Amino acid sequence: MPENLSVYIVDDDPSVRDSLALMLGLDGYRVALYANAEAFLAALREEWTGCVLADLRLPGASGVELQAALRARGSGLPVIIITGHGDVPTARKAFQAQAVDFLEKPFDHVQLLAAIRTAFALEERRIQRADARRNETRKLAVLTAREREVLDHAAKGLHAKEIARVLGISARTVEVHKARIMAKLGARNVSELVRFALAVEAPPDAK
Amino acid sequence: MFPLRYLRDALVFAPCYIALDWASYIDPIGPFNITPWNPQPALAIVWMMLAGIGHAPAVLATIAISDVVVHGSPGGPLITLVTAVVLSTGYAAIAWLLRRLLTGSVLDSTRQLTIFVCVVMTAVAAVGATFVGALYAASLVEAGAALDAWARFWIGDAVGILVTAPLLLSVANPERRANLLSLSRRPEFLLQITVLVATLWLIFEGLAGDPSDHFYLMFLPHIWIAARTGMSGAIVAIAVVQIGVVLGIHTRPPSSFPVVELQALVAALTLTGLYLGMMLDERERAAENLRQSLRLAAAGEMAGAIAHEMNQPLTALANYGRATEMLLGSGAGQPAELRETIGKMLVEGQRAADIVRRLRDFFRTGSTRLEAIAVEDLLSAARGIGAQLARDHAIELTVGSGNGLPALFIDRLQVEVVLRNLLSNAVESIATAGITQGRIAVEARPDHEDRVRLVVSDNGPGIAPADRGGLFEPFVSGKPTGMGLGLAVSRAIAEAHGGTLEAIAVAHGEFHLVLPCLKT
Repeated sequence: MPENLSVYIVDDDPSVRDSLALMLGLDGYRVALYANAEAFLAALREEWTGCVLADLRLPGASGVELQAALRARGSGLPVIIITGHGDVPTARKAFQAQAVDFLEKPFDHVQLLAAIRTAFALEERRIQRADARRNETRKLAVLTAREREVLDHAAKGLHAKEIARVLGISARTVEVHKARIMAKLGARNVSELVRFALAVEAPPDAK
Repeated sequence: MFPLRYLRDALVFAPCYIALDWASYIDPIGPFNITPWNPQPALAIVWMMLAGIGHAPAVLATIAISDVVVHGSPGGPLITLVTAVVLSTGYAAIAWLLRRLLTGSVLDSTRQLTIFVCVVMTAVAAVGATFVGALYAASLVEAGAALDAWARFWIGDAVGILVTAPLLLSVANPERRANLLSLSRRPEFLLQITVLVATLWLIFEGLAGDPSDHFYLMFLPHIWIAARTGMSGAIVAIAVVQIGVVLGIHTRPPSSFPVVELQALVAALTLTGLYLGMMLDERERAAENLRQSLRLAAAGEMAGAIAHEMNQPLTALANYGRATEMLLGSGAGQPAELRETIGKMLVEGQRAADIVRRLRDFFRTGSTRLEAIAVEDLLSAARGIGAQLARDHAIELTVGSGNGLPALFIDRLQVEVVLRNLLSNAVESIATAGITQGRIAVEARPDHEDRVRLVVSDNGPGIAPADRGGLFEPFVSGKPTGMGLGLAVSRAIAEAHGGTLEAIAVAHGEFHLVLPCLKT
């Protein structure tokens, strides 16, 4: 079981909350319980990882609204919506907001565990991507200002001669910079270099 | 079986027919049965409508016998036979047409009534023409008097049938018969009939001039009766007027005033009363249908809400069950832990059972049984419910008085469900807000249009303006444990009664429940 991942249960029914906590706890999951969306959002910290298991009908903000609030805050926590009556419009809305799954109460624990596994798989990929990006950003930091400029222009698809003209330096100097950039970033060829630059400019999980 | 029953019916029919013929043999033209009031055809037509036109031969025989007994067979045996054939064929044709054209009872809808009126008016005109034509052919009526005879026959038979047939049909129908009986016990109806009779006396005796001069006065009590009691009352009123008019004619010297004209007025009065009564009946039926569908909507809403609420204990039960299984499977489970989980399962099972009980209670009372309930009785029920709910809280409950307010016309159990919901919301609102000196008040006030307004207020924080919009939607709950069906169902119940339930926009909790009163 991934140790740094938790299941955040948001349900207004104390029995449902308690029984979920007991069952998932025995299954080896770390759980945290909240009676409503507001309490969860107030407690939420940026570094939390795992998934949210939220009831659709909550006093105050609904499960789908909670999901929207998470996205608005820039949190990528996957959300599983559970509900007592799976009506099509709300299910559609939940999926449009990219809920991992939409479970109808009373649900099968197999379904629930599958949904949590899917959510955790998504979450791990998200964490890996975030790690990779942090890594790349760190690597970029070792470039000099001139090297950043050369990289940016190369990423736009400019040739050495064009870069030289734009920056007012000789093409040879550009080639030297490129070689040093590739060495510093560990890129094997120019196309890897370009991908690197693009990846940093546009975070992978932004739409 | 056939001949015996046929004979029995005929033996009841014939004396009644002859008696009516005798009683209505007034102001004739010549010695023949051409009178301005002829109710006995209605008897023949209704009999053939209900029992089948196979009874036409019995009708033929009865008409022939009646002609001999009542009028002394003025045209001789042949004319008696011919006219009896004309009349019985005509009445059988009317009965047959009505059986074919009417899809329900004459008294069911405006459409059926209109078909009835049209068939009777046209067919009687045709029968009259044939009848007078036969007499003319036998030189028993002069050419100059034929038209007058025909008009008299037409108005006499038409009025007779229009007045009498609805009454006979009402008496033949068990439901309408019960309706007539309950009407006769209503003091208002007895007063109405008294006014009707008084008006008749005024027209014939109290005021100078011909009765037809002041006949328009008859419309006033008539409209009153039809608009208040519907078809049943109108039918009785018409019969009373007709009998009154006939008695009035008898007390005067023959031909001292135009009887035909008077009967034409009775026909107009009859049509007015029948149509007005029918409109009231149809309006009440539409209102009843509306109430019925609202009741169904409330039951549907309740069922949906209960199904949803049932999911909570079921989900918890399944989860606890799975947990118990894992505790047992791993062998790591402590007996104490297992016992605790099983205890929780029992609680959830109880909770599911409570929900089912509520559903059963609702459907037991779901067929709304409206009855007269004194406001004071409902308030004392509220006092009991409130005391029970507020038992564990320091809440002061004040319940006002219902003295001087009219009785409510409600389903007591359902309205108590609403009161319980409102009171329980009030208690929870106070408890959740942590108010130490909680106060809940229930008051009853008169409202416009025969209604009573019950006000349930508390000194809790009330409903946040943002929450007011979805307050009565099912599944919108402001409580941590509620499923939000209470107010939705409460409003559905209030509306099924023809009342309303509103949350008042104030800074404390206040709900207004408006309920209908017993109409007197």
